[in-house]
Amino acid sequence: MTVSVANDMSIFSLVAGASLPVQLVMLILMITSLFSWWYIFIKFFTIKRAEADAENFENSFWTGGDLNKLYEGLTAGRRKPQGMASIFEAGFKEYARHKQQSRMEVSDVMEGSRRAMRAAYNRELDDLDAHLPFLASVGSVSPYIGLFGTVWGIMNAFRGLSTVAQATLSQVAPGIAEALVATAIGLFAAIPAVVAYNRFASSVDRLSVRYESFMEEFTNILQRKS
Amino acid sequence: MIRAYEKEVSWKAGGLAIAVHLALLGGLLISFNWKAAHPVLNVTEVELWDSIPNSTVTPPPPLPVVEPEVKVEPPPKPIEKVPEPPKPVEREDPKVDIALERKKELEQKQKVIEQKKVEEKLKKDKALEQKKQLAALQEETRKDEMRDSDKQISDKKAKDALKKLQQEALADEKTAGDQQALSAKAATNAGVLDEFRNKIQAKIRGNVNKTLCGEGNPELKFDIGLLPTGEISGSPKLVKSSGNEACDEAVERAIIASQPLPLPSDPSLFSQFRNLKLKFRPND
Repeated sequence: MTVSVANDMSIFSLVAGASLPVQLVMLILMITSLFSWWYIFIKFFTIKRAEADAENFENSFWTGGDLNKLYEGLTAGRRKPQGMASIFEAGFKEYARHKQQSRMEVSDVMEGSRRAMRAAYNRELDDLDAHLPFLASVGSVSPYIGLFGTVWGIMNAFRGLSTVAQATLSQVAPGIAEALVATAIGLFAAIPAVVAYNRFASSVDRLSVRYESFMEEFTNILQRKS
Repeated sequence: MIRAYEKEVSWKAGGLAIAVHLALLGGLLISFNWKAAHPVLNVTEVELWDSIPNSTVTPPPPLPVVEPEVKVEPPPKPIEKVPEPPKPVEREDPKVDIALERKKELEQKQKVIEQKKVEEKLKKDKALEQKKQLAALQEETRKDEMRDSDKQISDKKAKDALKKLQQEALADEKTAGDQQALSAKAATNAGVLDEFRNKIQAKIRGNVNKTLCGEGNPELKFDIGLLPTGEISGSPKLVKSSGNEACDEAVERAIIASQPLPLPSDPSLFSQFRNLKLKFRPND
């Protein structure tokens, strides 16, 4: 039992003084936290952009311009259309292709373009949902990982006391403080992940509803045209 | 890991993620430093000053006064004891000749005389001791007023007086009966107390880096709390600084490095060691 003269309890000494399993837990949690924040920012930017794209596309779609022109404008761009635009592109491409073969029934044409739109919609939704399971996992599991590190550290701190007849707080306190750093990191990783997951899940839900209603409306328009 | 369409924001997101973590680390560092930089010593110094003269100077005087009183009791006992021995002798062999009985009576008388002598001697001793104690007390109070390094000398004198008393008590125990065991134990306890006090001082002194204390003969005082295992509870408190911070710290480190401190094996004596006030002269 050595007690340092200067009561050195800085965060670095706490981490450096922890036992190996606790340090391992801290490392895992730090990496997890970095990745989860990275994904949070990626999702934040991509979802924001998907919402803005959907807004722009709906505006240009409902202004009542020529659908052929809109389609050409989308495919001419260097960038592959995303979100609502890609659904429109898939549906309209299928419709135009069937339209050229004039012998097809209207219902078949509609069915084909609907299927194409459904496929594009699924791909878009898959992109929107990306990384959300990771955030959910981090949110639910990292507190437990941190808790594991803490329990381990506290176990060690108390095991060291077994040789001492009379325990003082100063003999346990450093060990417990070290161990609690693991919980702190776990919570720091978990709380933003949970908040972000809930926010992004609701954003994705709202976007998917928007896409689906667009698909229905666009099908109606195509049916009227044919 | 990431989708193709996410690549354009991945660097931005990565930078932001690292920024968030750096911000957290910075916050932690600031808050932890703020907590660690508590100078406690300066605050407690004043408080502890006035507790010292009371506890170091006043306790010794009452001790010697009590002990002589205990010593007066024993002499009468042996007198009661003396008539007893002949009885078993009479019972066991009734055919003892008169010469032997007379011899016994003579011996008895001699014993009584001896006892009286011892008593007288004890009374004299007592008077002498009280005189000595009075002198010591007066000296102590006088020295206390001066309140300097002289205090140690007066302490020493008081301790010497105590030791003499203890030795006399020990000698008395041999002549008188086992009634004195109690006072004798107290006397040996006091001896053990002194012995372990010296041991603790010696152990700590051995660990002091004397080069840090420079020239001269600085004196410092430390208050330490001890656990029954010999470990220090909390941290040693500097009561009187040597004026040299490096020296103070050297002694403090030495105290901590000396754990566990030697303690008497008798747990009943531990209460005397719970709070120790130690004086150091590293250059002695």
